[in-house]
Amino acid sequence: MKSNKIIEEVLREIEKHEGVMSRRDAMKFLAASPVAASVLAGAATATEAKAASTATGKILIVGGGLAGISTAAKLTHMLSNPDITVIEPNPKSVSYQPGQTLIAGGVWQKSDIEYKTEDFVPKGVKLVKDSVVSFDPKNNKVMTASGTEISYDYMIVATGLTLNFGAIKGLEGEITSMGDNEIVRKKVGKNGVYSIYFADGAVDTYKGIQELIAQAKAHTGPEKLQAIFTDPDTAIKCGGAPKKIMYLTHARLVEAGVRNKVELIFCPSGDKMFGVPEYHTAILEQFKQRDFKWEYKTNLVEIDTDKKIATFEKKWLEKGEYDEDLKEYTMVSMSKKVEKKYDFIHITPPQKASDIVGKSPIGSSKGWVPVVKETLQHVNYKNVFCLGDVAALPMGKTGGSARKQYGVLADNLIAVMEKKDKLPSAYDGYTVCPLITSIGTVMLAEFNWTAKPTPSFPLDPTQERWIWWLLKVYALKPMTIYGMLSGRA
Amino acid sequence: MKKIILALFAGTALLFLSGCGDKPKAEVVTYKYTPAEVYKATCSHCHGEKGEGMAEKKGPALNKKTLQELEMELFDVKNGGLGQSTATEHEVMEHNMKKLSEKGYTYDIKAMAKYLFDSFNIIK
Repeated sequence: MKSNKIIEEVLREIEKHEGVMSRRDAMKFLAASPVAASVLAGAATATEAKAASTATGKILIVGGGLAGISTAAKLTHMLSNPDITVIEPNPKSVSYQPGQTLIAGGVWQKSDIEYKTEDFVPKGVKLVKDSVVSFDPKNNKVMTASGTEISYDYMIVATGLTLNFGAIKGLEGEITSMGDNEIVRKKVGKNGVYSIYFADGAVDTYKGIQELIAQAKAHTGPEKLQAIFTDPDTAIKCGGAPKKIMYLTHARLVEAGVRNKVELIFCPSGDKMFGVPEYHTAILEQFKQRDFKWEYKTNLVEIDTDKKIATFEKKWLEKGEYDEDLKEYTMVSMSKKVEKKYDFIHITPPQKASDIVGKSPIGSSKGWVPVVKETLQHVNYKNVFCLGDVAALPMGKTGGSARKQYGVLADNLIAVMEKKDKLPSAYDGYTVCPLITSIGTVMLAEFNWTAKPTPSFPLDPTQERWIWWLLKVYALKPMTIYGMLSGRA
Repeated sequence: MKKIILALFAGTALLFLSGCGDKPKAEVVTYKYTPAEVYKATCSHCHGEKGEGMAEKKGPALNKKTLQELEMELFDVKNGGLGQSTATEHEVMEHNMKKLSEKGYTYDIKAMAKYLFDSFNIIK
């Protein structure tokens, strides 16, 4: 049934945008396609095939976003007597964040990504509209904002992360993508300063790009308008987004015929485009083709939104003395502050675990919840698991990662509940970045901890393709919202 | 039009089914030296015989880090950051590691983290 719903939704998405293909045609080809048939079969039987576990215990899931709800749904399928409580304060926590780039690009509306949590809470799972304010893992309980103490036998931490705009001098606020954001919007979302990292910010960014276009049309003189795109020195969700918004801005400027009036500059904290060499090379080529500029190791630390000046910390290595032990010259880390004038700046905010989690006994020196990265079990508390953006895992903080994690977590949690010694499932770090490279093309960068491309499809993964654009714009959302949130895909 | 929709669904299908099928086995990487050999020959010069750190070499102590911290940090060192374009937290060591790798002094991250933790940790 669920898979029919997915197909239904894909068709609805296609229908919304005229000209791709008619619904009748789409239906016909779907029916005729053996591959589509196998999707249906796969999605419908994947979970039923596993025998239900009779293990019992009270499971508390902290955080009802994509990761938390998908895990709740999966556990509901796998346990014959599930006792699951989800704590989530935000009524729209399951909204589709990957759509925020498309909103800023003018392809989607905010309403296209908004989903109500209550519509996706699995049957039998208790949703508590509250938030945890303290963790007491030694005594297996948490305290909530309303003053309620909730105890558990097993806990899953899926709180997500926070967008720490306040870490940039000149800005304020630590927010989430769908929560309250007035404090950040005092300075972000206007006057050339934008961020797609929260939904309202994405709506503002679209307007910002229109303003930039208008400004470019009126612009005269030899100096180009400066559009800067930042990428901070913390782990971030969706590592591709800082670049995707640059590609989309470029596409809209080209469309408006004013690309030659604007310089587009990427300023990341790191010294590469991508941790996977094949994708790094492909992106560099794409940057050159589009006449993008880039400055590595240039991290935004301060912004004066009145004067429109952004200050970056620029780092580099200088050759030091020869080291006899190393048999190499030592390197000395250098840095200086660099000011840049901007007309448009897209800020990817520094990101962190909320202090409630990060500074609690289940957190770590860096905040992120420390887990054994393959099993997703907490390193100190064996009845605590963690997944999604808040987990201390290398590389992926994406919906695609969470999609591979929740099944692993459910298998391993049930093994713990069944008092088994060995945890059966392992996460390999898989993640996917559908890198939007224009209105109409996407490079589908799939990879894992081996830092090598791991394509699901026998096509060169370093190529920009229209079919991946179709996948991104029409199929991934229904797959996520109706496949993943129900714990089936 | 046929092609589009077929490609679209073929792509989606494989993407979402890839988790269910047999995964191709990761290629086996073999290392010239054991973590202990690598440590003794190289790391110890700056991080100390017992991972206690050496201020004059600017080598931080490794003997108070948890196993999980060691694994994450070694990942950061070897991959030059944990994200796409995110800076490494070990700018100098990333450079040194590249040089050491060229000389064969490389290691499996998990194995090295375990070696460091089991051999040197003083706050278990």
